[in-house]
Amino acid sequence: MSTDGETHPGLGVTIAAFAVIVFLQIPVIVVVLAAFSTTSYLTIPPQGLTLSWFGKVLSDPTYLSAIRMSLILACGSTAISLVMGVASAYALFRKSIPGSEAIIAFLMAPLVLPAVVIGVALLQFYSLTGLRGSLIGLLLAHVVITVPYIVRSALASLSGLDLAVEEAARVLGASGFEAFRLVTLPLIRPGLVAGALFAFITSLDNVPVTIFLIGANQTTLPVLIFSSVEMGVDPSVAAVSTLLIVATGIVLLLAERRAGFHRFV
Amino acid sequence: MISVRRSLMLIAPLALVLAGFFLIPVLMLLPTSFGEYMPGSGLVKGVWTLENYTRIITDEYYREVVWRTLGLGLSVTLVCLVLGYPLAFLIARGPERWRLPLILLVIFPMMLNLVVRSFGWIALLANRGLVNNLLIQMGLISAPIKLMFNLTGLMIGMTHIYLPFMVLMLVAAIRNVPRDVEAAAATLGSGRLHVFTSVTLPLSAPGILAGSILVFVLTISALVTPRMLGGPTYKVMATLIYDEYMQLLDWPSGSALSFALTIMAIGIIWLSSRLTKRWAGMA
Repeated sequence: MSTDGETHPGLGVTIAAFAVIVFLQIPVIVVVLAAFSTTSYLTIPPQGLTLSWFGKVLSDPTYLSAIRMSLILACGSTAISLVMGVASAYALFRKSIPGSEAIIAFLMAPLVLPAVVIGVALLQFYSLTGLRGSLIGLLLAHVVITVPYIVRSALASLSGLDLAVEEAARVLGASGFEAFRLVTLPLIRPGLVAGALFAFITSLDNVPVTIFLIGANQTTLPVLIFSSVEMGVDPSVAAVSTLLIVATGIVLLLAERRAGFHRFV
Repeated sequence: MISVRRSLMLIAPLALVLAGFFLIPVLMLLPTSFGEYMPGSGLVKGVWTLENYTRIITDEYYREVVWRTLGLGLSVTLVCLVLGYPLAFLIARGPERWRLPLILLVIFPMMLNLVVRSFGWIALLANRGLVNNLLIQMGLISAPIKLMFNLTGLMIGMTHIYLPFMVLMLVAAIRNVPRDVEAAAATLGSGRLHVFTSVTLPLSAPGILAGSILVFVLTISALVTPRMLGGPTYKVMATLIYDEYMQLLDWPSGSALSFALTIMAIGIIWLSSRLTKRWAGMA
């Protein structure tokens, strides 16, 4: 019993919590082990270690073009979402137009709808308009699913902002855009970094929308892994997954050091 | 204040993109869901029917998939709550120096590609997967137990995927519980467990509700994990929609199911916000 009467985690709670932490890391560890294993099915202890699956992945044109496609979509949609989302959030924050609550709800709507529904809706729409398989169609679909994260983080960052700083810049002679770029933007940057990271990963991760819209000769990395698993597990899937695990870990640690990422989750 | 005209110019591009690539496409699904499907030729022109919707309720197979989806949503939510609370409690109330590493260990799997995580569970749960191999080597079983393509596999995989969301919501809720209220209860003679059950737990209820709604809605909408761990036969609503569109090309039926799923998701969110408001009103 603590002296101040607050509840603290006891030994039982601590052990349970650590067990859950282990549970959360198990599939990650297994995938990494599988990537280095010489057998196509995992055995404990591993039968032998090899780097050949990584070589196979990095020389396979299908994987390489899927990685390129994923990166193009993720970078492109994050950039577009960032520009349009921050502009909208800024206008909404200044409350200069009526019905801002309704507009915010509309901008957040793609988050509420099941992704598979957005996928089939766009599939039908793109089939009618001939956009299916086009890069611009895919990019805009990814903007739809990533933009709510940007808008939300931008609104959250702006809400802690004192408008007087921007007014001061205006008084000192800055134009509206200059005041935003030189004063407001640096102040909300950590929140935007977190939002952009979420958007980037959401796009990079997406299967339920993308799978309906890609053309016959293109694919993204997760869609490729998804469909290769349906055909049977191959250790090269583990190798490419391990590359994603390492990349995710690095991005997360960088974001944590640069922006204190965990505060925005 | 910036002018109304400038504000509209700032919002217009995004509003137009969302109208054109989200709102209109979703609304265009509505007429499709009342259309009639002819195997081989697709949508029949000029025919309007409610059959796509009535089938979801009357057809035994469809009904089973709907119940399975809802049941899975509920079970995953409950398991996430039970597993998530101790961890959230440790993060919120445990030693300060553990906080950041623990949060990062929760966020890391959450940020990790969904397909990769599901693949990890396949490597573990398959017939020749790690768990079965280990059990056979230890002599505990002689033939592999079926851990995938059934409820067990889906439960494990989905719990793993949505647990971090629950934990983060609960951490925020537990940190919001005022500590002096706990101290007051203890001063008045409550034991540690009693302080927890009568003060901490009820005061973190809004977070429990918010986390549960989030996990439930995400679970019933999920496509990737159910498809990878449930296989082509053990279907939920999202994977059924996927098959109707991509394999059977039965768009009317698929779009009716899409609206049913959407209504369920939005209905749950609406209901919970009503509940929260009533709660807040009582307090």
